[in-house]
This record gives sequence, structure tokens and C-alpha cells, in this order.
Amino acid sequence: MTSERGNDMMNQDNGMTLAEVRAKLNGSRGKRYWRSIDELAGTPEFEAAVAREFPDQAQEWVDPVSRRGFMKLMGASLALAGLAGCTKQPDEPIYPYVKQPEDLLLGRPDYFATAYPSPTGGVPLLVKSDAYRPIKVDGNPDHPYNLGSSDPYTQGTLLDLYDPDRSQHSTLRGERREWAEFVQVFRDKLIASRGNGGEGLYFLTSTITSPTLARQWKEAQAAYPKARLVQYDPINRDAVRAAIGAKDLQYDLSAADVVVSLDADFLSTAAFPGFHKLVREFVARRKSPEKGLNRLYVVESTTSTTGLKAEHRLGLRAGEVPAFTAALARELGVSVNAPAATWPDSEANFVKALAKDLKANAGKSVVIAGEQQDPSVLALAVAINQALGNFGKTVFATETVQPLPTSQTAELKALVSDLWSGKVDWLVILNANPVYNAPADLNFKAALDKAKTSVHLGTHIDETGSETLWHLSGTHYLETWSDVRSYDGTVSIVQPLIDPLYHGHSAHELVQLLSDEPSLSPYEAVRTTWRAQLSKSGEFEANWRKALHAGWVEGTAFEKGTAVTAASLPVPAPSSRDSVEVIFRADPSIYDGRFSNIGWLQELPKPVTNLSWDNAALLSGATLTKLNIEEGDILEVTVGGQTVKTPVLVVPGHPDNSVTVYLGYGREQAGRVGSGAGFNAYLLRTSATPFLATGAKLAKTDGKWGFAVTKSHFQDHRSKFFGGEGSGNNSLEGNEAETRGIIRWATLEEFKSNPGFANEGENHPKVERDVTLFPNWEYNGNAWGMSIDLNSCVGCNACIVSCYAENNIAVVGKQQVRIGRNMQWLRIDTYFEGDLATPRAHFQPMACQHCENAPCEQVCPVGATVHTPEGLNTMVYNRCVGTRYCSNNCPYKVRRYNFLLFSDFETESLKLMRNPDVSVRSRGVMEKCSYCVQRISAAKIEADKENREVRDGEVVTACQQACPASAITFGNLNDKSSRVAKLAKDERTYSVLADLNTRPRTTYVAAVLNPNPELAEAPVEHAPAKG
Amino acid sequence: MATNEILTEDPGLDPATGEFRVIAPGFSFKSVTAKIADIVLTPKTSLGWLLFFAIGGAVATLVLVAVTWLFLKGTGIWAISQPVAWGFAIINFVWWIGIGHAGTLISAILLLFKQSWRNSINRFAEAMTIFAVVCAGMFPLIHVGRPWLGYWLFPYPNTMNVWPQFRSPLLWDVFAVSTYATISIVFWYVGMIPDFGTLRDRAHSNFAKYIYGLVALGWRGSVRHWMRYETASLLLAGLATPLVLSVHTVISFDFAVAVLPGWHTTIFPPYFVAGAVYSGFAMVLTLAIPLRKVYHLEGLVTERHIDNMGKVMLATGSIVAYGYGMEVFMSWYSASHWEAFMMWNRMFGPMGWSYWVLIFCNIAFPLTTLWVRKLRTNISFMFLISIIVNIGMWFERFVIVVTSLYRDFLPSSWGTYRATKWDYMTYIGTMGLFTALFLLFVRFLPMIPMNEIKMMLPSAKLTAKAEKAVGAGD
Repeated sequence: MTSERGNDMMNQDNGMTLAEVRAKLNGSRGKRYWRSIDELAGTPEFEAAVAREFPDQAQEWVDPVSRRGFMKLMGASLALAGLAGCTKQPDEPIYPYVKQPEDLLLGRPDYFATAYPSPTGGVPLLVKSDAYRPIKVDGNPDHPYNLGSSDPYTQGTLLDLYDPDRSQHSTLRGERREWAEFVQVFRDKLIASRGNGGEGLYFLTSTITSPTLARQWKEAQAAYPKARLVQYDPINRDAVRAAIGAKDLQYDLSAADVVVSLDADFLSTAAFPGFHKLVREFVARRKSPEKGLNRLYVVESTTSTTGLKAEHRLGLRAGEVPAFTAALARELGVSVNAPAATWPDSEANFVKALAKDLKANAGKSVVIAGEQQDPSVLALAVAINQALGNFGKTVFATETVQPLPTSQTAELKALVSDLWSGKVDWLVILNANPVYNAPADLNFKAALDKAKTSVHLGTHIDETGSETLWHLSGTHYLETWSDVRSYDGTVSIVQPLIDPLYHGHSAHELVQLLSDEPSLSPYEAVRTTWRAQLSKSGEFEANWRKALHAGWVEGTAFEKGTAVTAASLPVPAPSSRDSVEVIFRADPSIYDGRFSNIGWLQELPKPVTNLSWDNAALLSGATLTKLNIEEGDILEVTVGGQTVKTPVLVVPGHPDNSVTVYLGYGREQAGRVGSGAGFNAYLLRTSATPFLATGAKLAKTDGKWGFAVTKSHFQDHRSKFFGGEGSGNNSLEGNEAETRGIIRWATLEEFKSNPGFANEGENHPKVERDVTLFPNWEYNGNAWGMSIDLNSCVGCNACIVSCYAENNIAVVGKQQVRIGRNMQWLRIDTYFEGDLATPRAHFQPMACQHCENAPCEQVCPVGATVHTPEGLNTMVYNRCVGTRYCSNNCPYKVRRYNFLLFSDFETESLKLMRNPDVSVRSRGVMEKCSYCVQRISAAKIEADKENREVRDGEVVTACQQACPASAITFGNLNDKSSRVAKLAKDERTYSVLADLNTRPRTTYVAAVLNPNPELAEAPVEHAPAKG
Repeated sequence: MATNEILTEDPGLDPATGEFRVIAPGFSFKSVTAKIADIVLTPKTSLGWLLFFAIGGAVATLVLVAVTWLFLKGTGIWAISQPVAWGFAIINFVWWIGIGHAGTLISAILLLFKQSWRNSINRFAEAMTIFAVVCAGMFPLIHVGRPWLGYWLFPYPNTMNVWPQFRSPLLWDVFAVSTYATISIVFWYVGMIPDFGTLRDRAHSNFAKYIYGLVALGWRGSVRHWMRYETASLLLAGLATPLVLSVHTVISFDFAVAVLPGWHTTIFPPYFVAGAVYSGFAMVLTLAIPLRKVYHLEGLVTERHIDNMGKVMLATGSIVAYGYGMEVFMSWYSASHWEAFMMWNRMFGPMGWSYWVLIFCNIAFPLTTLWVRKLRTNISFMFLISIIVNIGMWFERFVIVVTSLYRDFLPSSWGTYRATKWDYMTYIGTMGLFTALFLLFVRFLPMIPMNEIKMMLPSAKLTAKAEKAVGAGD
């Protein structure tokens, strides 16, 4: 239905093509000044101007680099403006619609259920559509998998849809071609290869997530038995396949008292399969300490938010994790195929205490292994869970979420060798970018030349698209019909919300060409796939509509079983601690590079490092000292003959002599945002060592790199007299945050003996409402407030990206971020506590606190920031003259100022994306979190229409909606039954900077941790690290 | 006094007091008028003047360029950021306004206190005030994000029915600075009227006669005129006197009213006023020393003036030093962690160097040396010290604005500040603007009030002999 309407819109757009304008000009006798335009029409400038006036060719128009070209065109396009102004209506009478389309009420958005096909499983979505434009992507609140939550990647895909750098037409050797021309050529080839079973026909695709695409391929395979399909994603699940075959593991953390992560970063990004559900269940056990808490142990290499949220974190080199797992397994009585290693005391104690705790919680514990670890870790984790009797209680084995599970790296290697041996006649690459991200040793770019015909289908003319013979303009998932399974197995139909912006075509259409019904649309293909399932009970059409409406196909969740056999894999011996290892990880913001042209995600400060716009060699402070370098120095990292230059950044808690590099950067053809950011870590990555390379060499080279780190971190060198500890091992910011009562937390024991700990003691100032000469202002109607549970927040950044989309926040670029001008209304403050070599971190989402005594309000000379009777601290953008005094006087520094013209008022495609309820701010204007006032107003209007009060939970802020941990609660503090009012009364609730008497409406619920008393933290003795 | 005998050998010293004379001996009414009026009325413009004016004008164009670019691009061309949302613009504003204060103090307060030595330096000090206010007044306007809406800060009746927000110290600034500028200009102009009459009468070219005649407002030197002139001067001095204290007090409120540690302090008003006078006198010295040299005015602006100004600087500098000391003391005595951290950070944080520059320039160097009379009357030394104090007072504002902001309440928001070329261009450009305006003043207006100097001559005392001289019409 959307698709149809989209077509109408496109037709309207196409109503005036260049040819028609010409015809009109020629046909009319014309007013005098038309003649000059007519003359102009012959010139190339005029043609260029006209071409750019229409969206399907609007390429350079939106590129700021060719502003010069814009200037040159000014004359001609001004003439064109005159032309448009003088165009008459047709002579025949025309009428505007008197009946508007049934489901369109301008100004009122519609919501459609769909799903984002993430490589680790679909994310069910409910997408807000305004006048047929999708403008906000959020989780589907009714879906059992994510219950409405999302993650940064999913949120970022909205900007991907409107990316002005998307490929806008298909090309052959760079020349523009139509899809139909390709189809002709391809069909000819297919007819020719019918006889030999499709020999020489190769498909290379990113991980297939769509059951329909899998079905289409299987049918194609039947017709062309010798055709080959290779799936490849650089972040793949080969380790899972190697350890347990075509199965997946699902965890039920709601039943787990003890959670152990073995290099499994399941709390920080959707790169971990099942992220949304895992986070939700994990934090659900931490919301009410009075009912007890779970306990998290993390053994990890790269410091992640998972590790920093843990009660006990052990930083080990990635190469040591398998041996550590073996030691743990042995301690738990699991037979292990590895020699016993000797561990230093701290690690040995950790293993003993962990094993003891696990034994005590057998059946109520879970051991989660990271999928980027050695397969033996996964296999041992399965064995441990089996030994503890966790299977069937907290761990389940299911079918895999991948419809066509394969061992991707091996397949890619086979493909490359076929390429070199000349066996590949046609290579069709679907939504993959192997030229950029294939293992360096395969030299895919050179191998690609060996294919006689190469085709690339994708949304961007990327590194691969520019190397292949054909490039076919692809579709975004919001532009095409498809389907996907979320990690629990439930199938969601991917509904398009908009007609392809650039006439793209999906992989479904291409693979369908191999069938007997080559023109079957993706819509029909998806319906075919699910016809049987949806006809089981009742009529198909009704069930189909229901599935589209609800967002999932009933009864498709995987059966949760226990049967799984872990392969018996050798446990690799850890490399020497003196040798340097390189760990490859998906970037927390841009994943494997596919999101690198999304400004929101590039600008997002990565969890832990707070680095944006770059990747870096992440090292421990001790390694930095050992190498005698400083942050921002350039390092040459050499692995197996490959060398890249990379700047250095220190990460607290990182293991020594170990370097983590995030993949996804150093792209050359990502687009205006992503090209040239960071360095390409794929150049170091080989097919043999996809996630961990050993024996690396590090050498300092000349030069310095300026990072855009949004939160500085200094070491505390203050002596005791000045309030420090003098060692230089702690974070100055972390120490100050605790001294200032910004971060308050207790252990479970402390909490039990003193539940009011958060508001007691010297460093924990309280809000004292009556310390004032003036009577307090009474809020009689609604009093909006927010509560943020610091025990729940895992620092994943989903809230920030959601805020970007909801509030039309500008992306400012690396240089502006470097000097502290990022525009994010919401940030996640990270404070490191304790020794920076073994830190604990506290994450604190920080946005405007909507103080009742707001310091910003009284210093604004023009009254541009004022208080509403409902307690909102509002910004009147129109009134703001930009003195920035409010920002100076804001103790929370949450105000954001348009120092320059940050908002993009030019790029047409971005205009479609904007939330029409929020103004786009111009330069010189202050802005900040508004508690999503547009959503409050919408809810109040609805309530007014029904003559009732706004119900609790009716107003959901954008950050709250995205949060997978439900850390954010918003509502009316005057409604005593509301969740936020109850949380405001919680004993653990405190206000940040309460002693300033700002009376913030946002309050925080202090964290309570549940450490194992046997693992009392012993201070680490070491020389202070540089940083 | 025992030293009298030695000192009397020096013609610059008054044998009665042993002090330097306010006016060197040997001046008569005629010679004073000739000395001062000829500087203005000479048709020959010296090459040196043209050279310096060209330099000043060239430097002033930096402001033009920087402000044009600023209006085109926005305040983001400066180094301001989160959390340091105020930078050079506010620092320069406070610095220039502070400089202006000495002029008003000299012309108003010293007039009321009958400190007649001020007469020699009053006029150009007052001109300095006005040009400093011109430079200062520019900054609040250009530092806002949308300068074309700057008029919203004024309470004017409008169809939107929106008033400014009267609780904001920035609004108080608008009133304080505009009042200050108005009073200063009026006072300055009124003071010049008798001299304009003199210039009109002495001018050779018709054009000069016409212009000076126009601005002299028909001054004839009648007793009635003199009486009204004196009354107006006194009244204006009375009006200007509270302004000396109030303007910088109000400006200090910009900071003191805020919640920020390092800003939120009650000592700011007196400390700002003292600082303003301190820097203002330094600037008067910076101007007076080359002026008296170039225009050979050593007889009118004598060592006595230099010495007195040194003493004023010593006094105000000591108040400033007390202010600094109190800030440090209060950061400990208040037992407030915010204050303690702010002070530690100000001294030893990443920008601690700026604090020590300030301490050296404002306290360590001037307040140890200004006690010595030999140094106070050493012209080169006083010039050096005036420059140092000017630098120091600029850094005082830098320390207050930047080092309080860059590390405030939430450590997650800490940042830093590094000025851009546009910041420097604007700042240096205003110095050029100031120089150019001041040179125009020196060339076209009497830089020393002839009438007031003449009143101080021994011949102005109404002895029989003097009456004769007056009668002679000099």
C-alpha cells in the first residue's frame, strides 16, 4: 500500500521531465522573456541545471565540494526559477483533491511495523512515517524479542536511507545504464548457462538474513546446481559454526544469578547476537537490589562496557582467554583437551572464586562466550554450561538465525582461489564490499579482475561497486519487501515505507531472475515464502495483514532445545606476554564499516574511549609507557608483513602488550562523511587470524594525530593536600566525580545495612527544598520529570542516536567535535574509578536536568530560555540572540550552541528525514534537551481530545524509547501512581549537584553492585602510566 | 626636610615640598596656549604622526576583516566552545572597559577632590576612556550569535510585547555601559568648550575657524560662561563619579551572579573596580610617556604626574593583590570543594601558567618596585611597568573567564581553550582602532586642557601683578 502511494508521488515528481519542459518551451508561442530561456536551453549549463533540478539526478547538487559548480550554475538556475514561476496550469481544468487519502492526515504521523535485517538477527521495528516519509526508527514495543528497544546501529539506519551519497543509478563501466539493460544481459547469460548448470556463475553476498532470499537461492540452486553462493561478512560467526555447527545459543539471563562473560561483549552493541534481549534481561535483575542482584564476571581483552559494568572484571590478553576458559573448565570438573597453564596469583584466585560461585549457582548461572574468540572458548563454554546444568534453564540451543549458515572465511577463500584459477565467469556481489573488507591476504581486489563479468548490487558505489563492471543501485531495507528472523527466531516481514528513492533494486529481485518467474516482485516472493505458515490457522490474507500490522509472524520463534554437541577443539596455548597481539573488533559505532557514511554514528563518542570520527590503536597505559610514546603519536603496526600507520589512544583496563583496532575505518569510497576517516585495519587482517593476530611489531613513526575525544581524561597527580591520591594511577575526573557526589553507588552489603546511602554523608548532598527566602513555586498540573537508573545504563549510546533523529540534531564534523562543539543533547558521561589499569566505570546519561531553579534562565538577557508551568526548561529558539551566558551558567554543561551554521539546509534528501515537529536550528542559537516537548504536546492534545489527564507512560521520550536497558523513565511527578514519581521517592534516588539548589527534575537512581566477597579488590602496585 | 637643600638644585622640584612640580617653571598663559594649541593648529602634519596613524589604521582594518568574517560565518570562528562559551570577546570587553575607568576617575573624582595636578592629564585620559569604551562596546554586540538581533537587549516597545529579562546581568551591562559612554562623552565635550573657543580664535584657516566655531557653541569667555561651565563640570563630575564605581561593579556581576566557582564571589565588585583603575592608570602612563616626549610636553606632564600615577597604581594594585589573596583564602576557608578545586586548578591545572603570568605582572613585579621613588620617577621604567600591568590585567580577565569555565562542575564536560587567529585579529585590531582614534584626537583636539592649566599657573593667582597680566588679555 505504501509502495503504491509512493509510486503516485514519484509520478508527480516525474510530471515535469526535461523533455517535457523542452516540449512546453518549444510548443508555446511564449512570452518574450521565455525566448532567452529557450536560447539558454541549448547550453550544457542549462541542461546540467535542469538535470540537477530533479531528484533522480541530484548528485553534485548536494555535494558541498562542488559549490563552485553551484555558483557557475546560478545564472542558469535563476532563469529556471523564472521559468517555474511562469509555468501555466494546463488549459484543461484541474482540481485539487477534496477527499484526502484515507490514511493520510497531514501533520499526523503513521506507524508501520517492519524490521531491520541486522547481520546478527533482525531488529523488529515500528517506524514513524510522516507524509509517507519514514522519519523515526524505533523498536517494536509489542515484539517479544526487543519490546521496543533498539540500538545505535538500528537508529542510524534511518540516516542511511536518506544518505545523499547513495548510488542513484546503475552503471556499466561507470556509464549510466538502466536496470532493464542489466536484466537483459543477465538473462542472456542465464539462458546460456542453463546447459552447464550455471557453472562459472558465482554470487557473493553479505550474510543472508532473509528466509525468502534463502528460499529464492535454494530454488535457483536447483535450477543451476553448479552456481555457487558465498556469504561473507568481516564480522562473521565462523567460530560458532566451528564450535557447535548450525546451531545458535540463546541465553535467558532473567534466570541467571551469576553471569560470566568470556570476552563476550553482550552489553555494548548489537554486534552481539541477541543484544536487545540480553541487555533487558540482564538489567531486569539489577533494578531492585532489595530483591537481590545478579552478579557479572567478565574476562575480556578489549575493554568494553560489559567489562566495566561487571562486578569483577579480569583483563586478559585475547590469546589468554582460551587457556583461562580451560582453567575454569578444569576447575569445574570439565574434561579439557589442553595442558594446564600456570597463572599468576591474581588470575588463579579469580578462577577459584569464579568456579566456586558458579558451582554454588549451578543451574542459575550462565557462561557466555564471545563469538570473536577462538572456537574452543565457545565449545568449552557449552561444556561448562552443560556441566553446571544450565542448559534448559538459562542456556538453550536453537536453530540458527542464519537461514544459510556457512563457514564464511573458508568459502571466501575458495571463491578467491576459483577467481584466480579463472573458473569464475560471472561474479555477482550482493550488498557486500569485499574489496574493502576481505582479508588482506586474499587480495580480493586483484582477484576480482579475473572474473569475466562482475556485478555489484548495493546502495553505494563503494570500493567494490567502483571496481566491478556493473554497478546496480540497491535498496535500503525501508525501500523493499523482505523478511528476517530476530535472534529468537520470530519472523518479521520487512515492509517498505517508501518507494526506492533512487529506483534501486533489491537482492530479491536479482536472485529471482534465476527462477522461472523472473519478474516476480519481492512482495510476492515474501508472500510465497510465508503462505504456508500464515495459512495454518485461518485465511492467508487476514493473517498476512495481521503479520504486517503486528510486525511478526505468529508461531515462528525457534523451539528452545538443549541438544547441542560442542566440537572437541584444541585449546591454543597463550602467546608470551612479551609478544604483541592485535585484536580486531567491530567498531561500536560504525560496525564493520557499513555505517561509515552515517554522520550520527561517526560523531557518536564510542563507549569507553569517547572517541568519535576515528579509530585508533587502543593500548594500555603501561604499554604506552613501555613504548615511550604518547597519546596521539603515530604507531606503525606490523603484522605478518602488512603494516599500517595508526594513532595511539590509551584505554583504561586494556591488557598490556595488546593492541585493539576497530574495523570499519579508512574507507576510500564511503561518501562525504565516511571517506578518509580513521585508518583501515582490514589491511592487517588475514583469513587465518580474523580476530586475533600475534607477533605484531609496534614502532613509533613521525607525526601526531588529533583525536576528537569528547570527554577528556586526565590522571590525578594531585597530592593528598589538594584532594588527590598522588599516585597518578587514577582518573582525575573519576576521583572528582565521586568527591562531588556526581556518582554515588554502594555494594549490596552496604545497601542492605544503609538503604539511604545515596543521600547521606559528606559527599552526598541532598536537595533541601526549604532553604529559600521565597516560597516554592507550586506545580499544580503536570510536573514532568525523568529518572535514570544508573544500575541499568550500560552506556550503549542508543539514546543519543535516537535523540539525533527525533530532534533534528546537526552533525558538526571531526574538527568541531575536537574543540568541543558536538551538538548531542544527550551524552553518556563515563567516569573511571580506581586504578586505571583495572578500573571500574560508571556511566551516567546526562542531558538537560530541567532544574526548577534553573541557573540558565535568570542570566538570559532576552528571556529566550524560560520555565513552563509544567516545569520544563524551554528554549525559545526564535528569541535567542546567542550570548551563551546560559551555557556558562549551566552547571551540567548540557546546552549546545550553534557556533556556526551546523544544520544542513541545502541537502534535499536530508530534508525528507527531518522531524516536522522540531525546528531545525540555525547558527547563533542555543539548543538543548527539551524532554521531547513535541511528544509531550502530542500526548496532551490526545488527552485533551478525550477530556482526561495524560496517562502514565503515554509520553515516551526518544531516549527512553530507544534504551534497551529501560534505564530511563519519564512521566508526571505529580501523578503519585506514576512510575517516575515512585522512582523519585526511591531511597537510592539522588540529584546531581544537589548542593547548588538547582532542583533538577532529572534524578538518578544510585547503582548497587553485588561483588563477590572472596574477590576483595587488592590494590595493584605499578608505576604510574602515561596518558 | 633635610633633603630640601639637595633637591632644590633640580628646577623640576618644588623647593617648598621637595615634590616634583605639577608644571615646570617658566610657563606663562601665552606659552601654555601656544604650546597646546599649536600642536593642533599647525598645518604641518608630522611624518611620524602619519606613519603611526597609517600603522594604527592598518591594524584597525583587522577588526573590519575579522568582524566581516565573523558576521558571515558565526561566532564559531573564535575558539569558544563547550564548556568555554566566552572567550576573547568578553575578556577584551572587560579589559577595555577597565582601561576606561582611569580617565573618568581622573576627570571626575580627582576634580571633586581638588587634585589639581590631574589637569594636565585629564583631557587625554578622558579621550582614552571614550576610545576604550568604543573598543569595549563593540564586543558585547559582536560576540552574540545573532548580532542583527542585538537590539533585543534594549527595552523598547514592540509588537511582540516582549521585554528584556531584567534579572540578567548582561542587561545591566547594557545600561551601565551605555550610560557610561554617554556621560563620558558629554563630560569630555563640555570640558573642551573653552579650549574650542581658544582654537577658533587662533585658527588661521577658515575651515578650522568654522569647525571649531561650531563646536565652541559660541563661547566668548564671559564670566557667566565660566560660571556655567564650572557648574556643569562639577555636576557632570558628580554624575560621573558613581559611574567609576558602578560600571565595573555591574560588569563584575556578569561573573559574580553566576553559579560558577571562580565567578560566584562577593569580592568581585571592589576588586574589579580597583583592577579597572589599576589597568586604567597603566594605560594613561602608556599613552602619556610617549606623548610628552614626542610633543615636548615634559613641562606640563611632569615627573610629578608620573610619580602620582605610580602611587595610584601602587594603591589600587594592592587592593587587587588583596583580592587575589582573599580568593585563595576563601577557597580554603569556605571549606567548599568547588572553591578549593577551582583554585587548585587555576594554579596548577593545565592552564596554570596564565595564573602565574597574572601574579607576576600584577603583583610580583609592580608591587615590589613601585614603592621606590627613584623607579616611580624613572620614565623608561614606568613605561615598562605600564605595559606589564596592562598585560597582567588582560590575563586577570583571561584567568577569570577561561580558567573558571574550562573545568567546572561535571568533570565529563571539561575542555580547554586555544584562541584562533580570528580572536587575535579582533583583539589586536581594536588596539589599532584605539591608536588611530587617539592619534586623530591628538591631531585635532587639544590634548591638554589649556584653561585648566592656565588656572594653575602662578600668574593665575589673583595678585595685583597677575591681574595686570589677565588684563593684558593673554
